[in-house]
Amino acid sequence: MLLQLKNIFKWVNSGGQRIFLLKDINLNVHEGEFISVMGPSGSGKSTLLNVIGMLDAFDEGEYQFLDESVHDLREKNRANLYKEYIGFVFQSYHLLDDLTVKENLEMPLLYKKVKGPERKAMVADMLDRFNIVGKKDLFPAQLSGGQQQLVGIARALISSPKLILADEPTGNLNSKQGEEIMELFKQLNQEGVTIIQVTHSEKNAAYGSRTINLLDGRMV
Amino acid sequence: MFKNHIKIAWRNLIKRKVFTSINILGLAIGFGSSVLIYLFLSHHLSFDSFHENGDRIYRAVTEEHRDYIDHEASVPPAFAKVFRENYQYAEKVAKIANWEEYQINVDDGNNQNAFKEDVVFAESDFFDIMTFPLVVDTGTRTLAEPNTAYINEDMAKKMYGTLDVLGKTFLFDNKETIEVIGVLKNSPKTSLITEGIFISFPTLEKFNDFSGLETWSGISTDLQCFALLHPNQNIAEIENVLLELPKEHRPNSKNRHEYKLQPLADIHFNPDYGGVNPGLLWIFAIIGLFLIVIASINFINISTAQAFYRSKEIGIRKVLGSFRQHLFWQFLSETFVISLFAIALGVVLAILFLPSFNALFELELTAESLLDYRFFAFMVLVLVLVSFLSGSYPGLLMSRIVPVLALKGKLNHNDTGGSTTRKVLVVVQFAISIILIVATVIISKQIDYAINSDLGFNKDSIVMVGIPEEKDVVQLESLKDQIQRIPGVTHVSNCLTSPGGSINSLGTSFKYSNRPEYEEFSIELKPMDEDYLETFDIPLVAGRVFFKRDSVTEVLVNEKVREKLGVNSAEELLGKQIEANGGYIKATIVGVVANFHDIDFTEEISPILMAYEPRWFDEIAVKIDARSTSNILAQIEEKWSGLFGGYIYEPRFLDNRVAEQYEAEQRYLSLSKVFSALAILIGCLGLYGLILFFVGQRTKEIGIRKVLGSNVANILALFSMDFFKLILIAGVFATPIAWYLMEQWLQGYTYRTEIHWWIFALAMVSIMVVTLVTISYQTLKVAMTSPVKSLRTE
Repeated sequence: MLLQLKNIFKWVNSGGQRIFLLKDINLNVHEGEFISVMGPSGSGKSTLLNVIGMLDAFDEGEYQFLDESVHDLREKNRANLYKEYIGFVFQSYHLLDDLTVKENLEMPLLYKKVKGPERKAMVADMLDRFNIVGKKDLFPAQLSGGQQQLVGIARALISSPKLILADEPTGNLNSKQGEEIMELFKQLNQEGVTIIQVTHSEKNAAYGSRTINLLDGRMV
Repeated sequence: MFKNHIKIAWRNLIKRKVFTSINILGLAIGFGSSVLIYLFLSHHLSFDSFHENGDRIYRAVTEEHRDYIDHEASVPPAFAKVFRENYQYAEKVAKIANWEEYQINVDDGNNQNAFKEDVVFAESDFFDIMTFPLVVDTGTRTLAEPNTAYINEDMAKKMYGTLDVLGKTFLFDNKETIEVIGVLKNSPKTSLITEGIFISFPTLEKFNDFSGLETWSGISTDLQCFALLHPNQNIAEIENVLLELPKEHRPNSKNRHEYKLQPLADIHFNPDYGGVNPGLLWIFAIIGLFLIVIASINFINISTAQAFYRSKEIGIRKVLGSFRQHLFWQFLSETFVISLFAIALGVVLAILFLPSFNALFELELTAESLLDYRFFAFMVLVLVLVSFLSGSYPGLLMSRIVPVLALKGKLNHNDTGGSTTRKVLVVVQFAISIILIVATVIISKQIDYAINSDLGFNKDSIVMVGIPEEKDVVQLESLKDQIQRIPGVTHVSNCLTSPGGSINSLGTSFKYSNRPEYEEFSIELKPMDEDYLETFDIPLVAGRVFFKRDSVTEVLVNEKVREKLGVNSAEELLGKQIEANGGYIKATIVGVVANFHDIDFTEEISPILMAYEPRWFDEIAVKIDARSTSNILAQIEEKWSGLFGGYIYEPRFLDNRVAEQYEAEQRYLSLSKVFSALAILIGCLGLYGLILFFVGQRTKEIGIRKVLGSNVANILALFSMDFFKLILIAGVFATPIAWYLMEQWLQGYTYRTEIHWWIFALAMVSIMVVTLVTISYQTLKVAMTSPVKSLRTE
């Protein structure tokens, strides 16, 4: 078991009313799964992803990640946990505009204090694997959307995470680019990486091994 | 990691060029000023530090206890010998006398020139106390011999054009021929004694000068007495023992002396005995700090305002595993890079402006002291301090940003925080500027008041000409008569000196009518002739002017004497007998004159005694018609040279001399002018940065307002009102502080200007005007953009 969510609730108080963002979520994820999360806008897909990614807190319930109780951890330990095991891919790529492709890839390794020569080797490896060696000195603004997302995925993968969380990874791409990215995810999943993606498209959801549907913060 | 930080920092700076330039320029001005202030302070702190036995060198000084306590950096001339011979405290004791602006004539065949120079008469032991090493000397001869002198290298070159000067002579004060028997190494500029000519003390006897006598009867400010004490002496104990000296030598004097030993290190910093006011140095240091604080505030404001634009980057970094401390150090390294540039630019600015700074404050600071390791340490300290001061708050603020919100772009400007802090900091900046402006206005008002208010005598169109040599009455009268006949000359008076802006003063004891004892106060003696009052427009309030006699039988006093004596009316004084100057003057009061300011406005008007005593005359006062000044001056010179051939003719205008009394104040004024201008400039840079940000932030709002019918003026008002509110708040804080500080400063003046409310209003209004000018360009640019454009971009 990679992670387990038990009776997760998340809410905000607005105008004296409690609005539920997540309601009684129970979810078990095993290593090697490829899960697609679907649902209309505002149904809580991204919130769920952020909770799983430990970027966002929840108000009630239990969260076990690799036998650690996430709800009992302090912020710093939580950060250490996701730094070690989770990679993030975003709809709008979120590359650092001031850094080149190579430097963007290097960033997570710097925060993990990986030594210089090893870092260089890992970056070179990743550039090679994604076939973007020729783009390594370009800045994000000089790349197409598909290429930027490629870099985004490469960056998420560079620290060899067990889990990749992808929030509408193809949302800003045209269909051809989107297909390529989904193929890449499929391939990564076959190599053993667990993936949870949020998507609007039935077609993309089909790449996954399991689909979860959300409506108003509740799993249906 | 550090390399990475610096790299990112560099790219960020390049990307936001305007903000980066504002930050660097502002900080550079702050740093540059602090470099100049560092030079200024280290100049003062290094004074007299070159003497080998400096910790054992003391100057004997006097506390004069009368109706109030006065301090003199001198002792009676007989003190030195007694302290040397009757006590065992000192290894060496020596006295020196400083004479200012005396004529030197050099004539060694190929070289002939005459100039005025400050000289020192020094006992030979003086050179065993202080470290003024000889570079050339005769070996056997010392300054114990009369008519000998040491001169320093610069003076040797000036006088003879060579360092080979042993045995050469010069004529001093058109009287004594002096032989040079040694050449001294030039002393450092930071020295109490900077004169280049040291004439042997025994020579002084030939001038029949007070300082050359072995007397306890009084004190001449020319004289200083130094001692090299044996090691480990208890100063308080010695001072206690010295209390017996006045009892023994001045048993009857109303002026009770107490002799003190002042350490060499104290001399430059003790205003009681003519040192600089350490308060002034503190003011400099604080102003330097102010400027750096203002520049740091700019930095903080601009960075926190910018935080929003960097929130995405911060969010990504956090998601990628950055901890808060990583981000904090990242921003600190950016600040460090900026500060590094600013410091380099600041040092360059400081070196460029050093000559103007020197000219302004009459200093001779050199950039050489910047090569010192201490300066390097100072710079490193300032660099680290400023980086932390201005980098840590924005760093803290930005590292706190919540990544989920930042990545979704759901953060608004208020969420990045710091807007309250920004307002507080802007208020601080405005307040500092207001205080500096108020100080500038009040100092200039005080100077204006001191120079332009009625001094009780007329100082305009009066030329003072020296009487360099004692002449007999007939000759002086004849010269006066000749000058009187020059067309354009209205009045001429021979006198000791002018009523105010005086070149010298004679304080003496005073006994009134049939009172048994001498009065406790000292009276100022003004020798003059019968035309003095008319020349200077000093009105008589009672009686008449004295008649000229061979000896002093009739005198005038001023109103102050009446007040001090406790007499009710001026008429009552008329016909009373007085005694002064130890019985030398015994005369009748025949007239009372109105009070006039004989000293500057820091001091009370003195009680004054006026008598006809030609032997003490030092100057001729000539009242002229201002329309043909140069012509008249030339004619006076012609007559004057007839009597004083061989002397240098140097007419001085009295109004200039009065103004010169306020040189220190003029310097304060330049200081506050320069620094308030700098403070305002740095502040404006910051405001410009802020308005750039505000305008960017509110583009959409402005667009909507315009669609709804608002015009350009409304929008300008919208932005300026925000700042005006802050200025008013700053005014509320600055007013009491400025009022208190300036009130303290004005306390130093007996006669002073008032602090009016309009000065504070003026300061605030001028800051408002400057603010308006600063923000209008950016505001107007946005306000005049078509709303279609600004609304579409959202």
